[in-house]
This record gives sequence, structure tokens and C-alpha cells, in this order.
Amino acid sequence: MAAVLIVGAALAGCGGGDSGTKGVLRVAYFAASGAETMDPYDGNRFWPTINMVFDRLIGVDKDFTPIPELATTWEPNADLTEWTITLRDEVTFHDGSTFDSADAVYSIDRMIDPEFDSPVRAVLGIITKAEAIDPLTVKLTLASGEADLPVLLADYRALMTPEGSQDTVGTNPIGTGPFKMEKLDAQGTTVLVANEQYFFGAPKVARIEMPNIADAAAATQALSAGQVDLMLTIDAKSEALFGDSSKFTVQRITSGDWNAIDFRVDQKPYDDPKVRKALRIAADRQALTDLVLGPGGGVPACDTPVWSGDPYRWDGDCPQDIEGAKQLLAEAGYPDGIDIEIFTSDVEEHMVELVEAYQEQVKAAGIRVTLTMTDASAYWDNVWMLEPAFVDSWGQRPAAQVLNEVFRSTATWNPTGLADPELDAMLDDARSTLDAAQRTEKYRAVQEYLFENTASFVPYHKTLVRAMSANVKGLEPVVIDAVRWEKIEVG
Amino acid sequence: MTGYVLRRAALSVGVFVVMAVLTYLGVAALPGDACTALLGRFATTEKLAQCRADNGLDAPVLQQLGDWVAGLLRGDLGYSVKRGAPVGELMAPRIRNAMLLAGVASLLAFPAAIAVGLATGRREQSKVSRTVDTAALVAMTLPEFVTASVLWLVLSVWLPILPAVTVVSSDDSIIDLLPNVWLPAITLAVLVFAHVMRSMRASVSATSRRPFADAARLRGVAEATVVRRHILPAALPPTVNVVAVTAAWLLTGTFVVEVVFNYPGLGRLAVDAIADRDTDLIVALTLLGLAVYITASFLADAVIRLLDPRVRAGVGRS
Repeated sequence: MAAVLIVGAALAGCGGGDSGTKGVLRVAYFAASGAETMDPYDGNRFWPTINMVFDRLIGVDKDFTPIPELATTWEPNADLTEWTITLRDEVTFHDGSTFDSADAVYSIDRMIDPEFDSPVRAVLGIITKAEAIDPLTVKLTLASGEADLPVLLADYRALMTPEGSQDTVGTNPIGTGPFKMEKLDAQGTTVLVANEQYFFGAPKVARIEMPNIADAAAATQALSAGQVDLMLTIDAKSEALFGDSSKFTVQRITSGDWNAIDFRVDQKPYDDPKVRKALRIAADRQALTDLVLGPGGGVPACDTPVWSGDPYRWDGDCPQDIEGAKQLLAEAGYPDGIDIEIFTSDVEEHMVELVEAYQEQVKAAGIRVTLTMTDASAYWDNVWMLEPAFVDSWGQRPAAQVLNEVFRSTATWNPTGLADPELDAMLDDARSTLDAAQRTEKYRAVQEYLFENTASFVPYHKTLVRAMSANVKGLEPVVIDAVRWEKIEVG
Repeated sequence: MTGYVLRRAALSVGVFVVMAVLTYLGVAALPGDACTALLGRFATTEKLAQCRADNGLDAPVLQQLGDWVAGLLRGDLGYSVKRGAPVGELMAPRIRNAMLLAGVASLLAFPAAIAVGLATGRREQSKVSRTVDTAALVAMTLPEFVTASVLWLVLSVWLPILPAVTVVSSDDSIIDLLPNVWLPAITLAVLVFAHVMRSMRASVSATSRRPFADAARLRGVAEATVVRRHILPAALPPTVNVVAVTAAWLLTGTFVVEVVFNYPGLGRLAVDAIADRDTDLIVALTLLGLAVYITASFLADAVIRLLDPRVRAGVGRS
């Protein structure tokens, strides 16, 4: 199959299919679930379409530095618990109504509403109150000081919707963004048209069409044959199909998506920090990354969830240490090695390969791993966070979010159950430090501390591969949070 | 004949009831339910409970089944929790698309398969006949996605005359859908042609050697008449059964081809429905599949009765 496809792609490159109509960008939407809604705060949000229709208060540039979007300035008080945000003037929604502080307060209230329980609440739940001071000023009050509130507000789902739109936004989205919804059909073809009044300037394409393609190989076929112009992610192993052809552009984007093997600290033998560390240092992370993700497919990590593009990333050194692992196991009462069972599933790609590669690597340290496959449909309900050891998967999150959402003692989704008051205190201290250099140092110390104590084995962050027809211009090789849809051209 | 139809109908109703109950219980036995599929990984216990209460999933399985049957009697096929739409509404365009695909594939495959099977079956040992048979064997052995990839390469990359995958919505007009049906239909037709042709070939070959065919020839009956009057009526019935089962499969079992070409038929809907624990949709699709197979086999029997006087007279029954 792969060989056939490679020949096909190469030949397409030699003068095959027609590559796109001028002015229309066709983006493959992968595997619609059928439950898509345009409500950006809903768990079944229709991504990335929500980012074409709506704007955030604050965006991010390539380096993940906050940049103005619907807000023009943001200022904290001295202890970082109150933020005053100035909104952009004369912005209108697609229906002609004006965007103002009432819409911003309404949107934030929905994001943090405990009853609605939006996934965005995990990011912005630190906000306790949003108030409109005047039509262009909003004051946000936080539960505790947070220096990185602007980065958290740049979450791709923290979008501004019109006041009172809760019941209609899902099917009839009215935003301020570069594109207006013309036909919403996630399982078929969704059509968006340019918002000529967009405050960052009119988009460079007249329309975006998003056909749903259920299967990755079928989407690859569609791109090869010129039926779509852009695939936001392709399987790294399909990169060769497009890499050598002058008809296609391939971008490799370092991202913050990561896998982990998590060990429950409330279950034996993982209650012993020595066992946990032995299990983590017995692996060769670079080799594991190359094996699981393909050469160049990821950036190794020393059990930090903070990705390499984040300014707070700690780049520790954690080579494979078989002897050290053996010694730790002996000290913990396992001089003859240890038998462990790791649960996994093909619910997402790489989750099975990770355990297979790990299993081979740690044999030398006397760690005998049994891989247990479980049903994909029920993995997150019946296995994740419940079995003693299991594979985990997370999307990219900024340091301030991921450390609090996944590693803090009180986090709802703390998968290992590790409750460490010292870690919590370090996180509190870091997030409420005003000085950027000091804050960076503190966040790095948190990650170094994690490497010594954590129960999550985090071997890598993934590199995403994006493929497009060569006539697509203006799409920077950046993670989706920083993509400017209005700047993309086809021609 | 009437008695026969009534007996078959009664049996079919029994099979329907048993299948509905088994499917309902089967889905209930799977881990997870429609609400876990809808709300996903980060669903809280409260939200799950609310979703289950809203959709009646907290009731005992047999009560849910009873409610569904009561709805069915009113013409209501139920509701898809994941897709937030009535099952009938979701299935209607897919049934149309499946019929289009199966129809085009059938037209491409069946007449040609029967003609070629007849021609090659009569001269089984000829070079042409053996070559055709080998080619059919290869076509049957190749997995569908391989055939599909080769056709895609030739017809939408080398000579780009057909769209590679379907990029129109499932409920778009037949006119919009039609260009997209060819690649999946040809892929299926290759496979179906091979099956039906080989069945026909074997059947004709066996019949040609039967004493009644030789007797007719010895009586001086022209070969064309021997074929029409003696060989065809005896050779067709087994092939009619193959055609019926294959046609039913074309309507309901074309998942692989649908995925490869992104064609919005019934197969993909069924597989997604199982992953989504969409019980009402799964049961409705199962019963639809059953109805298709029962109808196909009934039609095949009726055709065989018309073709074969022995069956009509009950001679064949022993």
C-alpha cells in the first residue's frame, strides 16, 4: 500500500491532478465524530473551525509570546490577582453588532461556569470574577496570583462569543473572526466565507471548504490528487509521500503533545519513589522517541510535560541508567528485578508502540513488563487513572496550565494520584512571581523536582507533520494556536 | 405458494425479534455507553449521570429495548445520542447512497459476469477460459484496499478522470454524488465480477457435461438452443443465489471501500455507530441488513422457481 501511494504521489507531482481553485482553501477535516458543535466551550467543539470564526482576547506569536487579538492591553495589579483588560474598539460581530465588554464577560462567565463545566475551566478556572468596567474595559479577579494569565487566555478555546448566544452558538455561530460560517456540516463539507471587515484585514482567500474525510489514508489520497489543499496533521510515516515532490510543502512543527506511562502511587509497588525512579531511568528516551515516533518525530523529555517551545522548559539530562535502576530496585527490595503490568490501547496512535519499545529497553534492568491491551472505546472510562500502570496522552498546554491541571495534588485529572504539598507550594510560588526571569527559574526548578519524584514517565513531545499543496502560501510552520487563517493564500 | 410465503414471513419476523434482542443485549454488554462516547475522556460523574438520565440510558436494558420496539411500531427508529439526530434522518441519505453504489456496481458486474461465465464455462479448457479464470482468482484474492489503491492510482492520479475520494456531503444531490461513485463501484465490481463469473463458469461447465445436454445435441438440436433451453435454466439457479447474497453484501457490507474512498454509505455509519455505542442506530442498521438479506434470498428463491420447473413442481424436494 505504502509503495503504491509513494509512486502515486511522485507521479501526481510530475503533472497529475489539478491543485486547487484560486481563492478557495480546501482543508481536510479528519474523522468527524458526528457530535461537533461550534460552541467553543463545549467538549465536542468543532476544531479548527472555531478558530476561523471566533477570536480570543489574546493570541500568541510563533514564540508563544502573548499578542493582542480582541484585547489591546492587559495590566495586572501588584500581586497578580486582578487583571485589567482593554478591548479593541470598533470591532463588529458577523451580524453587524458591536463587540464590547458585555460579550467578553458573558464569554468568560460561560468558560468558568461550574455547572456547564467547560473543558476551558481547567485552564481559566483560576478566574473567579469577570466584570465590565466600561464598554471597552474588563476586570478579571483571580483566586490566586497568576503571572501567565495572558498565556492562559490565549488557549485556542478561550474565544469570544456574543452575549446571550449559549443556545444558538452551537449551530449558528456568530463571531468576530476572519471567516463567517456559510454551511455547517462537520460530517459532510463545511463552508466558510471571508469576513471582509476583519479587524486584522480581509482574508486572502474568499472561502474555506472543509470536507470530512474519515480515514487518514483517504485524506492523503485526496491531497495527492488535488482534491484538498491542506492537511493540518499527517502521520509522520506518510511524510515521504509528499516530502520529495515540488507540488507539495511539508512542515515539521515541534509541538507540545506528549505520551506518558503513569504509575498509580496509591498502588504497590509504585508507592515507593525508588521503584518509580528506577522505572523511569531504565529507558533510553532518544531511542524510544525515534522508535515510537520515527526518526526526528519528536523531542525527548526528562519527565517534564513542558514542551520545548515553552519559555519555561527545563532541558535536563537523563540518559539511560541501567545500573542505577538495578540499584534502586535492590534498595526497594527487588534485588532480582520486578514484574509489572502496563495497560494500553490503540485509542490514540503511538500508545501501544510506546509500551512495546519500553518493554524491550528496560529488560536489561530486570524490569519485566507485561503489556495488556484493552478496548479502545472504554479506555478513558475503565482503564485510565484506574489501573496501576497505564499509558496516557495529552495535548499541548502552556507550563502554567499543564503543571496545575495534571500534576498539582488537587487537580481533577491528576492521573498518578501523587499528592505532594511541596510541589504545590513550588507551583504557587512560581505562578505568582512577577519577574519573568525569576519565574522561569522557579518553573524550571519545578520540573527538575518532578524528575526526582514524579510517577509519570514522560519520554517525549511529538513533532507534528503538516502537508499542503505547494500553492498554499502564508501558513507559517507554527502550532495551530498561532496560525493566522486570514493570512493564508492559495494561488 | 401462499403458504410458502406466509411460512417464510413468520420465520422472518421471529428472526427479526431475536436479532433485535441479541443486538440490544450485545451493545449493553460492551464497555462504555453512548454518553461516555459523547462526553469523552474528561466527563465528570455528574455530567454522565445527567446525560444518561436525559437519554433514558439509566433504565434497565430490556425496558430500553421495549421502548425502542414501541417507537418502532409508531414508525420511530429511535435517536442517536452521539449525533443528536433521529436515526431515521441519519439513515435515509445513507440508504440512498448505498443503493446508488450497489446499483452501479451491480450493473457493471452482474451481466458481464454471467455472460463471461457462460462463454468460458462452455470451453473450460481453452486458453482464453483459463486465463480469465486465473485473472478472476487474482482479483478475488487481492484485498479490496489493494484493488482500490491501484484503481485510484490509475484513474485519479495518472489519468485524472475520477475524483480520488468523495468530498461532498452525504445528503447532497445524486448529481453531485454521481462522479464520486465510480471508483468505489468499480472496485466492488471487480471483486463481485470475479465471484459471480467463477460460480457461473463452474455451473455451466458442469451442466454442459450432463447427459441431458448431450442427449439434446445427439437429437440434432442446435448448440445455441441447447444453451438457451437446456444449459442455462439448469446452470443459472446456483448463480442466482450467489448474485442475491452478493447484492445484499453490496448494500450493507462495503465498509472497507467506503473508508478508502470516503464514500458515505451504510458500512461506515454502522462501524461508527458501534464505536459510539449508539444502540438505536446499531439495532436499526442490523435489522436493515437482516431485511436486505432476507429479501435477497426470498427474491432468489422466486427467480429460481421461475427458472427451474423441478423446483416449481416440488420434484427437487426430498
